[in-house]
Amino acid sequence: MLAIGLAIAGGGGGSLVSIAPTVLTMGTATTAPASSAPSASLPMTGMTATDAARLLEQATFGPTPAEVTRVAELGLDRYLVQQLATPATGYWGFTYVPHTAPIDCKYDAANPSGTASMCARDNYSLFQVQREFFENALTGADQLRQRVAFALSQIMVVSGVEIYEAYGMAAYQNMLLRDAFGNYRQLLEDVTLSPVMGHYLDMANNDKSNSARGTSPNENYAREVLQLFSIGVSQLNPDGTLVLDSQNQPVPTYTQDVILGFASLFTGWTYPPRPGASSGWTNPINFEGAMIAFPNHHETGTKLLLNGVVAPTGQTPEQDLKLALDTVFNHPNVGPFVGKQLIQHLVTSNPSPGYVSRVAAVFADNGQGVRGDLAAVVRAILSDAEARTGARASADEGHLREPALFITSVMRGLGGKSDGVYLRSQAGAMGQPIFTAPTVFNFYPPSYQLPGASTVAPEFYIDDAATVLARANFLNTLIYRGGAARDPTVTSSTGTTLDLTPLTAAGSPDALVNQLDAQLMHRSLSNSAHTTITRALGALDSDDAVGRAKAAAYLVASSAQFQVEH
Amino acid sequence: MHRRHFLRHAGALGGSVALAQLGMLAARAQAVASDYKALVCLFLYGGNDANNTIVPIDSAGYTSYAATRGRLALAQGALLPLVEKSGTAAFGLHPALGGTTGLQGLWDAGQLAIVRNVGTLVQPLTKAQYLAPNTAKPASLFSHIDQQHQWQASLSVSPSDTGWGGRLADQLASLNSGGSIPAMISTAGNNLFVTGRATQALTIPTSGSFALQGFDNSAGGIARLSALRSLLGIDRGTDLLDAAQDVMTGALASSAVLNPILTNTASPVSGYFTGLTSDFAKQLLAVAKVIEARASLGVQRQVFLVSLGSFDTHVDELNTHDTLFGDLGAGLKAFHDAMTGIGAAQQVASFTLSDFSRTYKPNSNGGSDHGWGSHHIVAGGAVKGRAYYGTWPTLAVGGPDDEGAEGRWIPTTAVDQYAATLASWLGVNAGALANVLPNLASFSPATLGFV
Repeated sequence: MLAIGLAIAGGGGGSLVSIAPTVLTMGTATTAPASSAPSASLPMTGMTATDAARLLEQATFGPTPAEVTRVAELGLDRYLVQQLATPATGYWGFTYVPHTAPIDCKYDAANPSGTASMCARDNYSLFQVQREFFENALTGADQLRQRVAFALSQIMVVSGVEIYEAYGMAAYQNMLLRDAFGNYRQLLEDVTLSPVMGHYLDMANNDKSNSARGTSPNENYAREVLQLFSIGVSQLNPDGTLVLDSQNQPVPTYTQDVILGFASLFTGWTYPPRPGASSGWTNPINFEGAMIAFPNHHETGTKLLLNGVVAPTGQTPEQDLKLALDTVFNHPNVGPFVGKQLIQHLVTSNPSPGYVSRVAAVFADNGQGVRGDLAAVVRAILSDAEARTGARASADEGHLREPALFITSVMRGLGGKSDGVYLRSQAGAMGQPIFTAPTVFNFYPPSYQLPGASTVAPEFYIDDAATVLARANFLNTLIYRGGAARDPTVTSSTGTTLDLTPLTAAGSPDALVNQLDAQLMHRSLSNSAHTTITRALGALDSDDAVGRAKAAAYLVASSAQFQVEH
Repeated sequence: MHRRHFLRHAGALGGSVALAQLGMLAARAQAVASDYKALVCLFLYGGNDANNTIVPIDSAGYTSYAATRGRLALAQGALLPLVEKSGTAAFGLHPALGGTTGLQGLWDAGQLAIVRNVGTLVQPLTKAQYLAPNTAKPASLFSHIDQQHQWQASLSVSPSDTGWGGRLADQLASLNSGGSIPAMISTAGNNLFVTGRATQALTIPTSGSFALQGFDNSAGGIARLSALRSLLGIDRGTDLLDAAQDVMTGALASSAVLNPILTNTASPVSGYFTGLTSDFAKQLLAVAKVIEARASLGVQRQVFLVSLGSFDTHVDELNTHDTLFGDLGAGLKAFHDAMTGIGAAQQVASFTLSDFSRTYKPNSNGGSDHGWGSHHIVAGGAVKGRAYYGTWPTLAVGGPDDEGAEGRWIPTTAVDQYAATLASWLGVNAGALANVLPNLASFSPATLGFV
């Protein structure tokens, strides 16, 4: 059988450049190198501080007063051009360790802060990666890149439950940061050949069927790359709604036979060898580099792929892989499926079908005839009228701040400083241990609905009685107990503190709440909430500016109106 | 679309006010003492390989098993024989589930039953029907999240926004109207299983404090707490804000009641869990503490959700199963002993759910892939144990019960029947079972009699 030809060869998309944006005429935009500085020819279109703050809630780990001022002057387009060109802060300084820890690098209960225990913590747990995640989120210049990479890390999930080597997780996250504004086709290939993903979803060492042993190829990666990373289980319209058959039922995107086809296709790959080491089937676990193929462990028969595409017999592992990834990449579901999830992570849990279709159209064609340009997709998401003119949107047009964003928004909005040690533990207490989802299905499913409503609210899946108290108690620690002390076992530890000094100069309770409203939540606090909080502040001694600032910060940041960004 | 009003708030807040009168509290305690029942769902996330949970040990059965399972075959001598009332044993239990001091002991004592080849179905299904076009069968078979949802909803016809545990609590709500906490409690977070039309579970933590911290009796502290509470009741009318407020409102009400119970280190049930460090055991200990306090909490019919993860054994299944079954066996046995210790064994039944079983034929990485019909464990003093229920599938790859050529068993008992049996025991009368299990009429018999 012959493979059905595909119109677009998607490989090598990583070299695509981002296109410079214009506000109204995306389709006629001219190209500019991704590294270019904001062009002097762009119109100077500033925005109000309130609109800048809202944009920063969607595009960063939370507005800071300085960034609000800067972005208000810069305007949306210049800000996006600048952010899309900012290189990754990233995770650095992690080094390879063998999968099995040597005895002098294992946790020692008798000496929990001794050399062996610290070696285990720093190399065989995600402690340092999670800590750096918060350091980067609080201070990195590449805010938008980090936000998009964090979203991607929750779509193309690998988890510390199995990937506990810090260098492996750092490598995977650096890859997502690098690819965040590249082409989705390249991202899909990088994820597929990542030995970290190979280990997590078992494409590494997946062998062809063996009749003597009675074994079949492993179906794990085959299923999840389709179900979670690219197309989902049901056919979608370009606006993200379900295609329905004559019985009003969803139409599956694939059958079990297709899973068997992809499972066979993803055979014959193993970990890359360590430098200087010999290589063979199978190599020991190594998370640096990309997986390599061994043709004699690759299933050579035909494989049924999507939409009737069949991989012909006798192809090399690389040829098969290219065909498979091209086929997935060109499936019409990818734009609405991935685009909608990125909208949900950045802007709103319930985008309108029109919003999804506009973003999916940009995924299909960035205006230059290129499919899968993620920089163009991100720009489309943040430039869309539904993200911008909805600046006075109701809460149902926003989303719950997930724990990581709740934490960083409070820290950045209130002059926080942190080495990330305390913050990483708190994210865990709130149900989101960074890069450590329980399964490949992430911390929360994108389709989660509030009980008793049709409203989609993914982040609410991890919002329960235990975790909401953890959120409030986190604020109590930061505001009333001075945060967290320095950790002597962490190099250059700063501890975790807020700086509420600017709030103490606000003056009246009314002015104080206004200032918090502007700094933390783009003035979206309702009048009744404003009144409730100012009344409580009135019960405090009017000379106690610090006490009032603390109470105001606690009440605003613990309010449902702040928790639900809108 | 606006959210339905949930009983948990009326129950949690209104109830505690109404019960301020001691006489009523005493009456509730008496009612609970004479009539209390609880179901404890143990959700095995990832899809437990039931083919290595219950294994044929007779000569022919084991030989066939070992030939197909290859590297995944458990040693015949290691299996724990499940001796039936007839005195013979055709099947053995995975050794890590525990011998005579573990789950094998519960079986021997007649307090553990096995329900065979249960799975998601729209209607009874033969292989010929499965292979025929246009047969009604579950959507998205072999997909984790879809099959989890179908098990939790006991509905495979179409997506459901409620679970059968939740609908069960809805159905029995009148027995719980005087309770000071929600009838459903989860140690596994939000979950479709414990989502009803009008009732929703409370999630409790398994370690640390379950309390709002940082408020004192100063004028400022009182004013701030009062404002925090006021903020939870204003600006109603949008789903996301309402939900954020409601979760906190429920947390404040329930934590005030439950924190002293959960943090009580002197609780007599704690001793049964000595030496058990798994998260699963901690969840069951928290459940045991709540059940121990049942008289003061005033809830007569409870549904608990506990979870154990990492059953998605695509690689290295033998080692993973050893660890997970070690936790499952020891935790469940400790919980059962704790219930016996506080005189509640007859009133509490535990049962497993899981995404699916796994392929009988192994894959290339010492693991197995997503399957379908699965065997499940039910334990408790009221369980009619030391017995099997349902029909054993033909363990043959490509055979009459295999949907394809990898050994994914077409279920011979529906989740609906399994759930109906448990719902019936908890107190739903036969005529009302359809309220809890809307597709039950498609299967016969409606209940299986294992409890």
